[in-house]
Amino acid sequence: MNLVATVLSGAPIQFPSISYSSILPEVVFVGAAVLSMLLVAVLGQRDQTYGYTGLGVAAALFGGIWSYHLSQNVNARGAYAVVGGSLAVDGFSTFFMILTSVGVLITLLLAEAYLYKVSHRGPEFVALTLLSATGAMLMESAYDLLVLFIGLEILSISLYVMVSYTTSRRVSKESAFKYFILGGFASALFLYGLALVYGSTGSTNLGNIAAFLSKNTLTSNGVLLAGMVLILGGLGFKVAVVPFQFWTPDVYQGAPTSVTGFMSGVVKAAGFAALLRVFYFAFNTLRADWQPVLEIVAILTLLVGAVLAVVQSDAKRTLAYSSINHAGFILLGLYVASAASIGDSLYYLFAYTVMSSGTFGAISMIAHLEGRTEGTLSLADLRGIGRKYPKIALTLAILLLAQAGAPFTIGFLAKFSVLSSVVEAHHYVIAVIAMVSVVIAAVLYLRVTLSMYTPLTKDAEIDRVSTDPEISLGAVAVRVDEDTDLKVDAKVPVAAGLAMGLSVAMTVGFGLYASPLVQFASKAFLLR
Amino acid sequence: MAQYLPVLVMAVLATLFAAGSFVASAIFAPKRPTKAKGAPYECGIVPRNAAAERFPVRFYLVAMIFIVFDIEIVFLYPWAADFRQLAAFGFAEVVVFAVIVFASFVYLIGNGALNWGPQKRVEPQVDLDVSNEDSLGSSSSGVRAA
Repeated sequence: MNLVATVLSGAPIQFPSISYSSILPEVVFVGAAVLSMLLVAVLGQRDQTYGYTGLGVAAALFGGIWSYHLSQNVNARGAYAVVGGSLAVDGFSTFFMILTSVGVLITLLLAEAYLYKVSHRGPEFVALTLLSATGAMLMESAYDLLVLFIGLEILSISLYVMVSYTTSRRVSKESAFKYFILGGFASALFLYGLALVYGSTGSTNLGNIAAFLSKNTLTSNGVLLAGMVLILGGLGFKVAVVPFQFWTPDVYQGAPTSVTGFMSGVVKAAGFAALLRVFYFAFNTLRADWQPVLEIVAILTLLVGAVLAVVQSDAKRTLAYSSINHAGFILLGLYVASAASIGDSLYYLFAYTVMSSGTFGAISMIAHLEGRTEGTLSLADLRGIGRKYPKIALTLAILLLAQAGAPFTIGFLAKFSVLSSVVEAHHYVIAVIAMVSVVIAAVLYLRVTLSMYTPLTKDAEIDRVSTDPEISLGAVAVRVDEDTDLKVDAKVPVAAGLAMGLSVAMTVGFGLYASPLVQFASKAFLLR
Repeated sequence: MAQYLPVLVMAVLATLFAAGSFVASAIFAPKRPTKAKGAPYECGIVPRNAAAERFPVRFYLVAMIFIVFDIEIVFLYPWAADFRQLAAFGFAEVVVFAVIVFASFVYLIGNGALNWGPQKRVEPQVDLDVSNEDSLGSSSSGVRAA
């Protein structure tokens, strides 16, 4: 209204000062995406994708380094808001921007190794990943609900296309369609919640909302509470917490595996960043209202994720449910809602992104080497992998044990710190429930790890093949012949090897030498 | 509220006229039904085939290209109307916006979105192998828990 009034009166307009150095990662990501699409239009070069991937990797590296530089700035000068108070540059946003850059890096390297073998080549995947990551970064630094919504849409629309990237596969189309319909619905929920919150607080700016709520007590706050719940629903869909998780296994299974890794890492991080900022900062004074809701959601998420992960037989569906279980842990940090527990949530998110991208990478590599198409690798197929592909199996074993929370990995510290926050806040029941879910999920991770190193007997092999309706009797003979010579020469592409190596190095490295990341996460304060 | 009275009167009149027309035509109109007249979208000619047909996906592509430029215009008009007040800031923003839209247009042209001949395909599929295909959640004895 102000702007319209100013324009009509003919007075000079006050422009927001835009600090381009603060939004440089986003600008570089969009620029690299547009540049790669221009390059393919001008050069017509589709078959050699190294150039496009290289461009994307360079952008991701730049984004990560520049975000680190920004975080040093924040440490020195304190947090600040830019672009007319619509974006925050604080420890929190820079932490998430680094996380997003790491996720993009791993995704692009994995896609270069495998995705183009089953789908059309070209710069589109790189461009979509970068654009989606731009949306993620906007969500992570948004200081205004409308900017948050724009980020959510940029993230989602690119992601719908990425999920359907292998267009010739029916599973891929099915999962893309499910994700599109449900994702559109979730966006609508979020937008409606935004409208209700705006209606009851008079602003979409998170700082103004927080200030309004701390100064005023609404006599009837039904509209505000409804808006809060709708926002929780819209964002809860993106991070797959329990009442909103139904799409997760189907979409994770049908999407190309590198996209699944991206969804479970970058997208989840962006959704949680938004949840943490909106609830812990803007709705902080209403915590008596949202903590009970989050308590139920967190308990359900922990248990449903762990229990249903154990009964799955498909590798990617299992990981989908295990990702729901992890989401429960991250939610616990928000539920406790102390400065320390938010830091624990951030640390957990970083750990989870690193571990899950690597796990999905290893799964995609095994599926590829075994000649399986997208979403058909069952857990039984992993039996005996340890002798066939020792390096990949070791990678997968380390990452799965880390997800289970084994000591000396990043996963142990993540689980331990979240649980200790919960205990410190005297929520003993929920801490016990979380520990039980860890034990249930550990059964799954250990079972898969053990089966990878179980020697493959001929009986087991025939048994395994005969339970698989897709493989005819002729294939049994081939498989058994293969069995006599298990030393298959597994050639791992350089890009995928790099991505795996990065993931394992971070998982073990930050597990052994934890203090830098812990400090970084605990210093990631929100702009007040 | 008083200024809404004409609207209310208009609504009542319109309803009366519409209802009256139906009643009048039911009472006074001659009724000699034939099969052709009873057909949907009756125009006196017997339909030969179903109206729903397959048509090339390119129509959608053209529609989408149209939308891209339509949206650009939506933003350009307000900017043009307040060009002087928005000054250099507005000009820079619009240039960035136009460059991105133009880049998408170059991409479309470069990938043959406007080639109408049947000889060229936009995206050659590398792999059309659909064996080993399964629907979600039902793969090899998959337990489907929702």
